[in-house]
Amino acid sequence: MSFTTSTALASKLPQAKDLSHLFVPTFRIHQKSPFKAVMGTPTLDMINMAGGVPHPSTFPLEQVQATVRAPSHAAPGRTGTLSLERTQANGSTESLNELLQYNDGRGMASYCRFLRQFTEQAHAPPYADWDVVASCGNTDSIAKAVSLFCQQGDHIIVEQYSFPGALSNLVFAKVKPVPVAMDIEGVDPVALDSLCSSWTGATLLRAIYVIPTGQNPTGATMSLARRKALYAVAQKHDLVIIEDDPYYFLQLGPMPETQDTTATDMNKLSLVPSLLSLDTDGRVIRLDSFSKILAPNLRCGWITAPAYIQDRMQILNESTILQPSGLTQGVISRLLNDTWGIEGWIEHLNALRAAYAARRNLFVTLARKHLAGLATFTVPTAGMFLWMRVDLGDAATDATAMPRLLDAMKKGGVMMAPDMPFRVANAAAAAAPERYLRAAFALAETDMFEPALERLARAIASIRGSELQDTQSVACAEPIETTAPAPIAVNSST
Amino acid sequence: MEADPTLLSLGAGLPHPSTFPFAQIGAHVAPAGASVANTAPADMLNVSVTTSSGAIEGLGKFLQYGNGRGVPSYAAFTREHTHRVHDPKYVDWDTVVSLGNTDAFVKALMLFYTSGDTLLVDEWTYPAIIGTVVPMNIQLAPVRMDAEGMVPEALDHVCTNWTGERKLRMVYTIPTAQNPTGATMSIARKRAIYAVAQKHNLVIIEDDPYYYLQFEPYTADSEHRYTNLPGITSLVPSLLSLDTDGRVIRLDSFSKVLAPGLRCGWVTAPKYITDKIQFHNETSIQQPAGVSQAIVASLMNEQWGHSGWERHLVQIQRDYAMRRDLFVDLCLKHLNGLVEFTVPDAGMFLWFRVQLKPELQGQTGVMQRVFDSMVANHVLLVPGYMFSPKGAEQKVRDEPYIRAAFSFAATTDFEAAITRLAQALEPFC
Repeated sequence: MSFTTSTALASKLPQAKDLSHLFVPTFRIHQKSPFKAVMGTPTLDMINMAGGVPHPSTFPLEQVQATVRAPSHAAPGRTGTLSLERTQANGSTESLNELLQYNDGRGMASYCRFLRQFTEQAHAPPYADWDVVASCGNTDSIAKAVSLFCQQGDHIIVEQYSFPGALSNLVFAKVKPVPVAMDIEGVDPVALDSLCSSWTGATLLRAIYVIPTGQNPTGATMSLARRKALYAVAQKHDLVIIEDDPYYFLQLGPMPETQDTTATDMNKLSLVPSLLSLDTDGRVIRLDSFSKILAPNLRCGWITAPAYIQDRMQILNESTILQPSGLTQGVISRLLNDTWGIEGWIEHLNALRAAYAARRNLFVTLARKHLAGLATFTVPTAGMFLWMRVDLGDAATDATAMPRLLDAMKKGGVMMAPDMPFRVANAAAAAAPERYLRAAFALAETDMFEPALERLARAIASIRGSELQDTQSVACAEPIETTAPAPIAVNSST
Repeated sequence: MEADPTLLSLGAGLPHPSTFPFAQIGAHVAPAGASVANTAPADMLNVSVTTSSGAIEGLGKFLQYGNGRGVPSYAAFTREHTHRVHDPKYVDWDTVVSLGNTDAFVKALMLFYTSGDTLLVDEWTYPAIIGTVVPMNIQLAPVRMDAEGMVPEALDHVCTNWTGERKLRMVYTIPTAQNPTGATMSIARKRAIYAVAQKHNLVIIEDDPYYYLQFEPYTADSEHRYTNLPGITSLVPSLLSLDTDGRVIRLDSFSKVLAPGLRCGWVTAPKYITDKIQFHNETSIQQPAGVSQAIVASLMNEQWGHSGWERHLVQIQRDYAMRRDLFVDLCLKHLNGLVEFTVPDAGMFLWFRVQLKPELQGQTGVMQRVFDSMVANHVLLVPGYMFSPKGAEQKVRDEPYIRAAFSFAATTDFEAAITRLAQALEPFC
């Protein structure tokens, strides 16, 4: 991908629609941060005896620095050092003293400024009064976004297979997920429209939570046409869209048809536009994260939404995390603003896409080779997941078949994520359960791909059409109900 | 995931560490007990975390998804420190990481409370608590305080006479250098509070970010100060250290003793509670930022160690003690007849009761005019109502309290601040 700077003047764009009627009652009242209300705008010689904050002379860190690699593999060995000095501004970034101090629930100014510019270039939101707030990752952002629109007993629409971290959040919040059918492109807008039109629940449906790119777990990526259709249905039924998009910049293009095809030039491969880029109403709350595009445990991301919604988000931050680690925001800001700049950042993203595409190509090629007749799948065009529908043959209607498959896999020495923790329970799913496994191709060493797929093939073959094993314990094959989900063998953050 | 060589796992949706662009993260840190201002560059300690592991994990671990317990070397340090200082009196206690005490409070609260419940709090308390519970439809039951903090008889009285539908099950308190009143509970007071909690089977949330900022008693004799600071060995023991039942959830933070922008802290509680907080972490914040954990873990495990960390805490204590003394000296000099206050034995706050003229006491809007007068005189303190669960009531807004913090302003500005405050208050007193 490459971005050109938008020339549309913000002043020519409409303001966001006022969707505050969709807020839970507490947030309908205009919210201003209480700290700001009291402090107002201090004059320059105001002596501040108000803030219960430490003096920076007590911070024992004199300087923070990091050695970073060049953005792309085209320049191996090229490293740079970024540093954050204590008392002076660091290029575009604040002083270390400011980064280490208490700050408001919005995020560090330099961090937010870069992300505002990047979001403008990548999505050009089609309304004027949007803004960016720092987050500590999408899982926390999901919880906060949901809490603005749903309270205990409410319902929220989710994809019929979804991210377990989000589903756990809903359990905690006592908000009930209503699954909508998916096809190979993700949410089916016709099914969504029908669901909303025939809804008879006690409280209104006000929001939908989607992962439109490289969906977890299905790997599905919605086309532009599909996104437009989804957006139209959301407008029709006045839904807020929570766009959870951590794999957005890991779009990989199609599978190469021959093995000789040179790697796709990621500079030229454009991205499917986001829901945010279609959002003329201001009904999308977009969640971005550095987890998959820098590192997961930086615990940094950002939320893009209308400014009046961000005022509430700021309140939520100030009554929980305050904001993500200022030190980490400073490191990221310095890296992206100064060490790499926007060109280096895009170079880095393109290099990541190429790396993920190479893994996807290898894994899919081997899966086609070893799983013919045993499993089917759609090639993912983004992210890190392959969602395989297991063909259990004559055993397909046997409720014990999936647990026996998982057991056979374990004994055979291969692990993949089973479908249960991702599935949102509903009657349709229970009646004719297709069974899936999710393989992640990002972490494992590539020379493990073939042996893993061979082992999987053997495990599936051993279950197909076989007699019932009468000695194994049979765990329930039903999707997990919406009580606290059992921890799965994979990290619940993924 | 275990490193089982016979198990090929494609289960976890983790990125490969080779995609993390950081080869090294580090910092220059002052030696333990010294301040940056007083340390020559050549004497700074070098904290560095690379992709290799040694005494602590490598960046591949600090920057990767983990669990809600935190990176082991960071978590282990906080646990061992807790053991050294508090020595919990029951066997199955444990620690779990947090992003600081405000988020930790929410996690602890949500274990026991839901919409419709009521939380017992100090009658003046930390504003973020008030902000958090409102959207959760949790009420606050304020308990009267005196110069030492929450009054045990008042806590007993509220619990005994409670007629609400749902039982009272938790009390939240800041026992050291309370925000906003600056009150510090003595050990006798803590024992009494604990006994009331036992009587009514309450969980105690002990929010203790100022714990190490304890001082010797104030003396006007400036020649004989700093000879009897409590250090680490003579601190007032914590509620955790008295906790034989396992009913205290203690919140510790690096915010006031290292830096707020690290967003690092930890919670101590019975293991069945810390396990649940771990799970809640995993469905929200995950764990503290890896960069922060890396620097803290390297600093503590490879440079300062526990004894260095304790020397650092003593230095911080001294810094704040000096500020307390200078500030109180000046208040006694300039604010006679204008305010009343109890001298704080710890922390950073002074809670002034403005001595309004009789005809102004309780007058509607009087404290707004006092606040406006302070702003006009270019000095900023916080109005008392911000700290009350009943802060929306006009009656409370007219209560004559303001909070001063002596932690942030330059000490060279203290006299100017206090003389400006005197000017601002004069017309009203």
